[in-house]
Amino acid sequence: MAGIAFSPLYYLDMDAFSEELMGVVQNDDQVEVSKDPVPEIHLPWLSQHMQSTGSHGQKGTNFAQTTSICLNIIQEALLKHQWQRASEFLQCYLQTLEDINSQKRQIAPEIIWKLGSTILYHHPKSNVETFSAFADRMKNIGVQNYLKISLQHALYLLHNGMVEDAYRNLNQAESWRYGEMSASQEKLIKLIQAYRGLLDYYTWSKKRAEVSKFDMDDFATNTATQDMHSYFRQATVNLHEIIKIPGVWDTFVKSYVEMLEFYGDQDGARQVLTDYAYDNNFPSNPNAHIYLYKFLKKEKAPEDKLISVLKILHQIVPSHKIMLEFHVLLRKSKKEEHHKLGLEVLLAVLDFSGCTENITAWSYLAKYLKQIIKGKHRDWIQEGWSSRKDWWPTFHFSYYLAKKNWKENRILALKKAFISGILLGKGCRYFMYVSKQGHKIRDKSIKTMKKFVMKHNILDSEEC
Amino acid sequence: MRKTECEESGIQMDFPDNLLPAFFLPGPPGLSDSPASYLAPAWSEYMQLLKPPQTQDPSINPQHEASYVTKWGRWKSDTPGPLPFLRPCADPWDPELMSQDLLFRGRAKQPTRAKATIDVIEQLNHFLWDHGDIAFGPLGMLLQENFNLAETKKSHKNKMVMNTEWLLRDLSGYQPKGCPWAHLSTRQRRFSLLGGTVLGEEVENLLGGLLHEELETHWKRLLLDEASTGGALGWVPGDKPHHGQLVYPTGRAHNQLNFQKVKLSPTNEPQALGDPSHILLRGPVRQVVTRTIQGEALLAVRSDHHCALWKLEHQGPPEPLQVLEMEKEATGISLSPHLPGELAVCTRSGAVCLWSPQDGLQQIHKDPETFVFKDPSSWRWADFTAHPRMLTVADRTGIRLTDVRGPSDCGELLFRIGAEASCQRGERVLLAQYLGTPSPLPLSPTLHLVCTQFSLYLLDERLPLVPMLKWNHGLLSPPLLAQLLPPPCPEAPLPLLLGGLGGHLRMLHLSGGSGCTPQLAAPPQSLPSLIDSLPGFPVLEPHGQQLLQDRLKAPLTGLAATVPPGCPSPTMLLFQLSAAGDVFYQRLWLQPDTSSENGGSPSTDCTEDLGLNSHSQTSATSFLGTVSEPSAISWNPQAVACCRRWLKTLLQVPPTLPSWTPPTFSQHHLRWLKKENKGKVRESLQAAMAEGRLLLQGDLGPLPPSDPPPAHEPFGMEDKLSERLEASWERKGAIWWDGQRDGSQLPRKRQSREKRRTQLSSSFSSIRSTSDFSDVNSPLSHPPKTPSPLHKMSETSQSLELSQELWVKNIPRERRQTLRDYLAVLPSPDSGSCSTSQFQNPRTQAPFSPFPENSSALCSQNPNSQSLFSPEPGFNSVFHSQNSSIQNLPTRHTPSLGGSQSLRKKPRMGF
Repeated sequence: MAGIAFSPLYYLDMDAFSEELMGVVQNDDQVEVSKDPVPEIHLPWLSQHMQSTGSHGQKGTNFAQTTSICLNIIQEALLKHQWQRASEFLQCYLQTLEDINSQKRQIAPEIIWKLGSTILYHHPKSNVETFSAFADRMKNIGVQNYLKISLQHALYLLHNGMVEDAYRNLNQAESWRYGEMSASQEKLIKLIQAYRGLLDYYTWSKKRAEVSKFDMDDFATNTATQDMHSYFRQATVNLHEIIKIPGVWDTFVKSYVEMLEFYGDQDGARQVLTDYAYDNNFPSNPNAHIYLYKFLKKEKAPEDKLISVLKILHQIVPSHKIMLEFHVLLRKSKKEEHHKLGLEVLLAVLDFSGCTENITAWSYLAKYLKQIIKGKHRDWIQEGWSSRKDWWPTFHFSYYLAKKNWKENRILALKKAFISGILLGKGCRYFMYVSKQGHKIRDKSIKTMKKFVMKHNILDSEEC
Repeated sequence: MRKTECEESGIQMDFPDNLLPAFFLPGPPGLSDSPASYLAPAWSEYMQLLKPPQTQDPSINPQHEASYVTKWGRWKSDTPGPLPFLRPCADPWDPELMSQDLLFRGRAKQPTRAKATIDVIEQLNHFLWDHGDIAFGPLGMLLQENFNLAETKKSHKNKMVMNTEWLLRDLSGYQPKGCPWAHLSTRQRRFSLLGGTVLGEEVENLLGGLLHEELETHWKRLLLDEASTGGALGWVPGDKPHHGQLVYPTGRAHNQLNFQKVKLSPTNEPQALGDPSHILLRGPVRQVVTRTIQGEALLAVRSDHHCALWKLEHQGPPEPLQVLEMEKEATGISLSPHLPGELAVCTRSGAVCLWSPQDGLQQIHKDPETFVFKDPSSWRWADFTAHPRMLTVADRTGIRLTDVRGPSDCGELLFRIGAEASCQRGERVLLAQYLGTPSPLPLSPTLHLVCTQFSLYLLDERLPLVPMLKWNHGLLSPPLLAQLLPPPCPEAPLPLLLGGLGGHLRMLHLSGGSGCTPQLAAPPQSLPSLIDSLPGFPVLEPHGQQLLQDRLKAPLTGLAATVPPGCPSPTMLLFQLSAAGDVFYQRLWLQPDTSSENGGSPSTDCTEDLGLNSHSQTSATSFLGTVSEPSAISWNPQAVACCRRWLKTLLQVPPTLPSWTPPTFSQHHLRWLKKENKGKVRESLQAAMAEGRLLLQGDLGPLPPSDPPPAHEPFGMEDKLSERLEASWERKGAIWWDGQRDGSQLPRKRQSREKRRTQLSSSFSSIRSTSDFSDVNSPLSHPPKTPSPLHKMSETSQSLELSQELWVKNIPRERRQTLRDYLAVLPSPDSGSCSTSQFQNPRTQAPFSPFPENSSALCSQNPNSQSLFSPEPGFNSVFHSQNSSIQNLPTRHTPSLGGSQSLRKKPRMGF
């Protein structure tokens, strides 16, 4: 009847839809990059859905089928930690290296390297020789992966304490040339060089220890120093390069700075650390600020300078443990604005869930509140408290926590009770519970605390 | 600060002072050329334990650590697959739409560029055949004036009116749902040639668009069902260390929220204590979140358009705190780990709100656009951070840290789909979870888990955009469930569970206290999914087997794990909830590794390579030597018995009704109804519309009475063949066989006889049901044989349930009240928890009650609900009390007397 024979209108329509939704199913990596900078969501289980429908048409050659089944078995075995089984199947999987599909053939070495290195890393009967033999073979299959495998191989050797072999490997990788290097390969070379630089640094620091330790005659000292110096030069050249590229380079920066410091290049070291901390292209790495602060502190830089470094860190990571040191610095400072900031720093530390039982912070705060009240700066407390008064009572000063703290850490409970009394008045449940308990065991400090709270809590003073 | 001071003060928030090297190169995702793609954090992807060297000289101090296995042992399970924990859900389960139903099944022209093509033509065909009256009805109305359908009484002067008498006569006896190529008369042929194109095009144009839209949503949902993000299974630890309860939804519409008390045993299997109590909700439960903060156990539930918060008491029913109704669909809810009763809620409008019962709602973020690049998805997610006033807001493109106190729409990105994390093309955020808990873990409380289709990322909120760890999870279903567990023994790595919607599970072992970067202590593991338990079940007849398989293959919608304290060996209990409403469990324990004596020193004789002799595998193959692999576990008799018991109950579940049956009525039928019937039909039509279900024949008046088929007369005393056949048809063949084998034929026969009797006459039902109950109380009821979770639902409750079911079916409506009163006096099998309220109509107690007059009336009863706060029209907070809505039923069945049918699933295509 009518209505059965339809134009293929919706066919096309749905085609367009699914294309738009999913993109092409197979070999997504090889599909030419679309003009659209942001591709649509890609769901790896789509092909499974299609296969279950049988809409995929041909499933490919037998060869493709067996290799894909084999790959699945290997991956499953890896997830079950059946290393032996995985290694046996990997031997069969090597046939993908001869795949007629050129795209598959190209990515095969990388997959085999990933699987093989994982298996050899975990296999109980594997050893360094086996791993090295495998890595050396894999480096030369498919040019693309040479650098990658070299680096990972070197790291594996380092992991096993074989520094010299690692160094040789890195050296080899560095001198590798094949046609024109892509941007990523250039970066990778830089990283390989950086690791080599790091190894040079290790040798350098060993030599330094030797020179300082042994009483050598002039000549020997001289040679050793020169030797040391050449390592220093090698290392700095390489490390200097990597630090320029945005990234997280804590290890490299530390070693580089240590060497510069040793040779008295304080300005150079400071410059490196400042760049590492304040370059906007770099991620906001808290360690960068810490390194700079520690360097400046060692240099005995003026306090204002130290404070300005930590001020920035306070904005990025207010929970950092160095913030307590920052508070002490601010407290000792002569400027009033620093005193005010000192309170905010303490309060900000205690905002974090990981610091709720930090007794140092609480005792600093108790002491500081006393000091502020005596210094007639109640408004600072009011100001800091205003953004916290709606949640600190439940977060810090609940009845449950009073009981818990009293049971687990009496000193903490006392400190907190004092603070809660000042901030929330004598009616606060935390304060009431602790003072009652303290009364029971006749703690003398309770009395003085109560007196102070009665007189100075910010609620009452508001009314006055 | 001095180190000692730091240690004693217990700061857990030390920032690792030496991070692993990583490039930081912003850019769009999927730059295959990005060096970040094979550098840290991708270290972890291949050789998970390989760390780049720190500043110490590695030759002096090689980073040789004992492997996880030698240090802690292996996670072992008692059984190869999870075991059923609770009885199968009483509702039948049929898998929802599958790709087979939607996709075009033809052969693609270019297999390499095959695309998922939705078979719209087939669906449209189905629709036209099945719902011809709907498809062509409106057109018929338009054409009605040109056709005369009635008998030729009046002569028509108008030549524009065509008489269809002969056409209809030709059609009479012609079954349009039969063979479409049946004989056509010339008249019909002419009509379809002339009218076909018009009719076809109209229908195609109007319907096609709608169908297109509908199929699109179905297909999208099939590929990524984001509604169940977060999971709907919650575990609430009880007041005693080995007690707790599971909270999970069941029912065809997932609208029944169950609370099952569980007792954990240090050495044995967990036990379900009694039957679950439940609350019937008005919408499907999509997400269940539980947390215990400051000694207060809270439960938050997300439905499509409601969110609700309960306080769980150790004794007594859960206390409802507040319900939120929203206009747009809710996509995520999370409970604060810092402040009791504070929640974050997000909806499809792009709004994220902080919600607490005391202070109401506070909008934190509202932006229909996505953060990083434009993505059409309106999915949003919010979670908490280590700072109680900071939230993470996630969409498909990234995650942002937002300060509640600051102005909305500002804050820095914690994660984005881009080159920094070396994301792939088309990668999207599917799950974002804060890994901090109220109780301190030996892991920094600043970590966030991010899952995409491809990978798992760990991010520290103090170092945004640079993942601390990345692992390619390789799950072939969306990873929507995750849970971090406390360490099974002190200082051991923390297990992190990841669950895909398809039932695949992964376990990661996270190590690294505060002050170290989080790392994988061992290569990730896969855990068995429900379908792996299939070999533990007895083999059934094909349809039974299919039923079981479908059931076990149902999507995984909930995951809850707990580490019971005080176990002799570190144990983990893993509960899984499937979309069919089944709860399975698996006990895993860390078995110390005994075979690792030789593990420390690898034998030197196997120096051969992996067999990679210049591409060719012919000369390959020298093995690494055989090693003891984690040995396979086999099914033990207890586990098999447990599965068998579960299966027995499952097969008693009535089979699924076909999700759709073609209506056997038409408008024609309606038109010629007798006048007295019309009122009745209208009523039932309205009732059907109100319930949103399909019209059935019964709604359209009685069918002409016909004689029932002659009853089967048994030949002789024992007609085993007929019995067996009968049982097989009812999908109870295996049970019948078991019954035969066990020799316990008597009770079964009695049951079937009873069944026959009840079918004969309902007037005896009252006597029969009392006799059933006397069975319950008789000391002869089957004593427990082995302690097992399924044991809890012993035969007694089953017979009770069965009898009630029959009881409800067969008792005349007017007599039920009398019986109810009578039953209420009877002692209950589960003393204490049984109450008469079970027979109240649950419909009147629906907790999601959007009617203001209702809620205001109830408000007065609830001391907590004093403020009515709704700062935005999109959110209406409605309070209600449901003291009466908590039902402690002795059985899992709610006898639905007053037509309180739970919402049925949408029939095919939502038509």
